[in-house]
Amino acid sequence: MIQVQNVNHTFLIGKKGKEKKVPVLKGLSFEVEKGEIVAIVGKSGSGKSTLLHTIAGFMSPEQGSITVNGQETAFLNETERAKFRLNNFGFIFQNFQLMPGLTAFENVELPLKLKGVSSKKRKTSVKQLLKKVGLEEVADHYPNELSGGQQQRVSIARALITNPPILFADEPTGSLDSETEQDILLLIQDLNQTLGVTFVIITHDEEVASIADRKFRMRDGELVKGDTGYVI
Amino acid sequence: MLFKDQVDFVSQHIKKNKLRVFMTILAATMGCAFLIVLASIGFGIQDTMRKEILEDQAITEVEVYPNDGEELDISKIGAVEHVNAIVQRTRMEAMAVSQIENRSLEGNMLLTNFAQEEKSNLKLSEGRMPTKDNEIVVGYQFAENLLTDAERKEMEQSTEEDAEPIGGYKESLIGKTVSMSLQSYESEEAFSETWDFTIVGVTEKPAKDWIVDTNILLDESWKDKLQEVYEVNMEEGNTDLFFSSTKIYTSSLEHVKSVTEELKEMGYSVYSVSEQLEQLDVFFMAFKIGLIFVGTIAVLISSIGIFNTMTMAVTERTREIGVMKAIGASPKLIQRLFLMESAWIGIIGTILAVIISYAVSFLANWILPMVVGSALGEEEFQDLSMTFSLIPWQLVVIASIISIGVAMISGWRPARKATKIDVIQALRQEL
Repeated sequence: MIQVQNVNHTFLIGKKGKEKKVPVLKGLSFEVEKGEIVAIVGKSGSGKSTLLHTIAGFMSPEQGSITVNGQETAFLNETERAKFRLNNFGFIFQNFQLMPGLTAFENVELPLKLKGVSSKKRKTSVKQLLKKVGLEEVADHYPNELSGGQQQRVSIARALITNPPILFADEPTGSLDSETEQDILLLIQDLNQTLGVTFVIITHDEEVASIADRKFRMRDGELVKGDTGYVI
Repeated sequence: MLFKDQVDFVSQHIKKNKLRVFMTILAATMGCAFLIVLASIGFGIQDTMRKEILEDQAITEVEVYPNDGEELDISKIGAVEHVNAIVQRTRMEAMAVSQIENRSLEGNMLLTNFAQEEKSNLKLSEGRMPTKDNEIVVGYQFAENLLTDAERKEMEQSTEEDAEPIGGYKESLIGKTVSMSLQSYESEEAFSETWDFTIVGVTEKPAKDWIVDTNILLDESWKDKLQEVYEVNMEEGNTDLFFSSTKIYTSSLEHVKSVTEELKEMGYSVYSVSEQLEQLDVFFMAFKIGLIFVGTIAVLISSIGIFNTMTMAVTERTREIGVMKAIGASPKLIQRLFLMESAWIGIIGTILAVIISYAVSFLANWILPMVVGSALGEEEFQDLSMTFSLIPWQLVVIASIISIGVAMISGWRPARKATKIDVIQALRQEL
């Protein structure tokens, strides 16, 4: 489903003219299979978020190739990448990234609007999904009227509404208490099993990583070798 | 994204920043309204002058004069393409004294060819064109100037300038017989010869209020007879009774220019309304372009407001734009949404400006004549059909294109900036 091959990336840091090269991704290679939950675990600054950004197409790696569903994403232009993301990816962010001016319903509806789905079809799909994530009661609430857990459920619903085959979750429980964290993790597992969605979870939290079928550990831009290759 | 959803998205954002958007629209409205009202003055003055010219004479009329010592070759002129009628009116160097019952009038007699007059579209307010030799057409004010001796005396004594005409013939003149004789300008007495004519038509009211038409139109076949009488009664050496003016009428306005040119080529002096209108139009075209240019500066100043508002909008919504891009909004869509927002400001501003401009124009045309009239102390000024401001649809179109175009151009850069927002940076922004 996702093939990452020999990906390298360097950041330039410092004042203009006096920049310093800092390598953040160093020859990464791995694969993610369809329908599995994969966790990329590492401390802050290990390069795991940068890896997610390159796979998601927010940035292009300096070297290497990333293939998703047989499509080499590095060669796509910005418009093509946006379209590719809309059709193939869903995103769950640590701080939810909901639109503050839109209700829970409208937030979930947004990707369907971008796809050009008619208003009638949108309503049916959003209602069904909000019911599935247990938010039908608060559909017309604005993000600031929802709890952290509810906001993250809205975010998950928004990521799932277009039925993407792959869902990226960047520290999905980073802003939640431990009880709510468990709820969200159970939801992710449930969605993976019932809908067959592939999850790529970026986290520093071992408990979150524990729900994954496979884990990749990152340190200083490299995958750490365990007993069974890169997978720990 | 469906167009309806794009519009919803834009209007949602506008509603969120009502006051800021309102102030920007206000600036755009003021700029555009200034442009329209300023240019409307040019259109108004041009319209007034055109009307003045066209009221003076028929638009298909071409006046033609022979050069010194020559005569007009009527048959040659008649052969020119698109010439509809040639009206030669011959004026006499003598007064025509008309008498009906106990009323009389000293006026001018014009000899003409009625067939040509009819072709040239001479309009009558009453009656018909003459068909016989002794039938005539009189001017519109002929009746009201037919006075008895007593009425004339009373009128002479009246000192008021604007006094209403006293007396005059109240009944219809059609079918009435008028007894006419000639009188030299130098003498007090009319010639002894008199003729009886039947009035069959009265001309239309002159376009200008100040023109008093008391002329008598008589068939040109009378020329020789009148000349004879004149010669008998006048001293020798002063027998040049007639002088004529020739007017040519073309079949339509578009042919006035070609006929004018052809007559000029024949060596005649020619004057037509189209020449005057052409010069007027050239002058006013330059004048109006100048006014629109000055007005456009106001629109440009207002565009700074739009640029500011849109830049603020992009800065404020950086995180939202980042999220939109992350979940699959293309840069083109982001750009279009912001351009739509600035276009919306431009469109609403322009619509309001057009409404306000029409109101200002209407008020200016209503109030200004009164203000100017009272300032100059002339009541008559208020009655003049002077147009101070005129807004034709072309001006609305030009102003709309300029205003909406400038709004979109000023929204272009902020919209481009929005498309260049880096998703990663935007997502890192604090909530």
